[in-house]
Amino acid sequence: MSALIEVSGLSKHFGGLQAVKDVSFAIEPGEIVGILGPNGAGKTTLYNLLTGFIPYDSGSVVFKGRDLRGLAPYRIAGLGISRTFQLCRPFVGMTVFENVIVGGLGASGGGGSGLDAHAHALLKQVGLAGKEQLAVETLSYGDQRRLEIARALAAKPALLLLDEPFAGLGSGEIADLSALIRRVHADQGLTVMLIEHKLHEFMRLVGRVIALDFGEIIAEGSPEDIVRHPAVIEAYIGRGDAEAEEQTNAA
Amino acid sequence: MLEILIHGAVSSAIYAMLAVGFTLIFGVARILNLAHGTFYALGAYGAYFFTSHLKLPLFPAALLAIALVAVFGVVVEKVLVRPMRRSQLAVLMITLAVALVVEQALFLTFGSEYRNVPAFVDTKFSIGGVDVGGQRLLALGASVTLIALLWIFIQRTRLGSAILAVSQDPEAANYMGIPSDRIFSIVMGISAALAAAAGVLAGPFLTVQPTMWLLPIVKAFAIVIVGGLGSIPGSILAALMLGYAETIVGYLISTSWTEIVSVLATLLMLVFRPAGMFGKRAAF
Amino acid sequence: MFDKRIDYAGALGFIAFMAVLPLVFGGNYLIGVLTVSVIYGIWAVSWDFMSGLTGRENFGHSLFIGVGAYTAGFLNTTFGFGGWWSLPAAMLMAMLFAVVIGLPTLRLKGPYFALAMLSSAVIMQRLMLIFWEQTGGEEGINGIEPLIRSQLGFYYFALASLVLVTALLLALARSHWGLILRAIRGDEATCQAAGINVTFYKIASLVISAAFAGAGGALYAHYQLQVSPQLFAVVTSITIITMVYVGGMASIYGPVGGAILLVLLTELLRNFGEWRLMIYSCTLILILFFLPNGLIAPTWRRVKAKLVRPE
Repeated sequence: MSALIEVSGLSKHFGGLQAVKDVSFAIEPGEIVGILGPNGAGKTTLYNLLTGFIPYDSGSVVFKGRDLRGLAPYRIAGLGISRTFQLCRPFVGMTVFENVIVGGLGASGGGGSGLDAHAHALLKQVGLAGKEQLAVETLSYGDQRRLEIARALAAKPALLLLDEPFAGLGSGEIADLSALIRRVHADQGLTVMLIEHKLHEFMRLVGRVIALDFGEIIAEGSPEDIVRHPAVIEAYIGRGDAEAEEQTNAA
Repeated sequence: MLEILIHGAVSSAIYAMLAVGFTLIFGVARILNLAHGTFYALGAYGAYFFTSHLKLPLFPAALLAIALVAVFGVVVEKVLVRPMRRSQLAVLMITLAVALVVEQALFLTFGSEYRNVPAFVDTKFSIGGVDVGGQRLLALGASVTLIALLWIFIQRTRLGSAILAVSQDPEAANYMGIPSDRIFSIVMGISAALAAAAGVLAGPFLTVQPTMWLLPIVKAFAIVIVGGLGSIPGSILAALMLGYAETIVGYLISTSWTEIVSVLATLLMLVFRPAGMFGKRAAF
Repeated sequence: MFDKRIDYAGALGFIAFMAVLPLVFGGNYLIGVLTVSVIYGIWAVSWDFMSGLTGRENFGHSLFIGVGAYTAGFLNTTFGFGGWWSLPAAMLMAMLFAVVIGLPTLRLKGPYFALAMLSSAVIMQRLMLIFWEQTGGEEGINGIEPLIRSQLGFYYFALASLVLVTALLLALARSHWGLILRAIRGDEATCQAAGINVTFYKIASLVISAAFAGAGGALYAHYQLQVSPQLFAVVTSITIITMVYVGGMASIYGPVGGAILLVLLTELLRNFGEWRLMIYSCTLILILFFLPNGLIAPTWRRVKAKLVRPE
């Protein structure tokens, strides 16, 4: 089975800073892959490079056999990559339902009555049924996160990139959201990439982990292996991130 | 050749005064003040009114005009602009509305004929064989002096440092005890005063009529875009470029094409380098 | 469901009212005022479609109006084409300008886009004066033929145009197009991430807005029988924006009421002669402060709510 997305030698620098350095990995369809790394490791930059928001200096990204170089973000999204952002960015001034509809309008040949039904189903799936006509500004943060996911799924993507979906949520909400991600992944055979800091939930969710530090891949493997990997531990302890060490030990 | 050099310098100086005021209030308070041209117009009309109707001597009339316009600017900022600050577009609309109201007021009070602002210096000088009006030279000299004074003020005084601080981060400045709101008002006053001074100095040799606010604002916008929003050195440099470009076009082609230069420059800059030359904040 | 029926009833009532008014009160003066108000209505609705929905306020709408009007003027006087060629030609020219100017300027954030459009309108005004030999300078183009000889007939044609344009743009605004435009207003980057070609929609909405503005301009040319550079003036753009604010931003139908209201108001203030524009500008300031959501659309919504409740 050929990889869904294949990244080779991806590099990007901003001025004097090398944000992403020679990153290479492949993701098979159906995986849930986690991206781990301390702040500033280049994780969100990596997402921006993959989705076309920032051009890369060198390397290649091949998705479904297609080279993504030079494509505008909306074209890449149209090919089947959806993403969420670190900070919730709902379409203000519109209702929950409208937000999800717009999410599905960009996909190739969007629209039609099928989209309405699909939007309703998605909202039910993420647990927002009944809140469809609410203005997004009135939603709780946890609900906004669910909306983000529903909106991203409306485009029927093959690959879903999640950027710190648990940020700002309480432990109960995290458990719910995590279960949702697992459910969606199982139901739709979605491939998921996940950036997260909350290691506990993260480790239980992902099948494989890619660890970044200073824009480079320092380790790759199963959650259990990564947690014991010397380079990963050093990246966290070297930063004085004692809390992370506790979490990695507990996971 | 020398003619172009001198006249270009005069134009650039006036434009620099306008642009620096415009970019100052933007850099500090993020306000794109469409009434900036109105301050310029009021300066000219003020000088005219005080001299011809109140029969004041020129120098005090000019100072009075500038002072009153500065106060007007502060009032506009406090009463009309500040409540609208949540939206840059709302600020744009309200400053534009102010410009229109003032234009109408000037029209109703003074009519639409061109008015005469008396010159400080009536004599003509001859420099290197070129005839230059004394007023133009004065405008050049005064503009340069005022801008230099402003620069020193910002770099060397405490109030100047406060202004710089607020321009970088109003909230942080607030935490440090700098009253951002008061700084906004002060800067607006300075900005208005500069524009009014430009009006007083240029009034004698440029047209004075109620709609005179529009073209300066279009040009100030052009200069500020080219020079980079929020950058005073950028504005000065761009003002020089624009002043000379216009003068050269005026001499080589025709004067009616001069306004197009500024707008064309803006549009080209926006297309190729939206941050301008030294811009700290791109326009998108 | 019931909501829509009230809307239709309201629309029909309004159309009937506007159609019957000149018949009841008669007189060419009234017909003239109504015609102008209807044309302003077309301009206001076209502005609202783009700027109201996307939030990108266009301070240079007069550019497209002027382009449409001058196209009609030229076609009719210089090239001798009959009046009925004006409308499509005006729309095409306006759309062309929208593409050319929209491409570089729509990337800009709100206020800069507004000012860039303002500058463009100022340039066009200048150009009309510079090339006075071809364009007639300050005097403009005179002697344009009327489209329909009968004043009343032309009024009905203009009214029909207004209804058509409003219905069309309302339909678009309520469709997925409108959703996308409003989403672009919300967050452009997220729209991109959702696969929406934001640039296309922004330019397309500007082009649509310009097309109808130009059409209105052509109508105006065939009504006034002359066009002048004043059409490009800032005052025109601001007047239209005021009408939209009064009508209610992004409602599409509100600006119709706003236009008619303001034109009628201007006529009533005719006695104040020179003070008209001043009162106008002050009104704008007051509206910005006290009625940011407008008058017409919120009022209609409240009327609808009251009508639904007794059921």
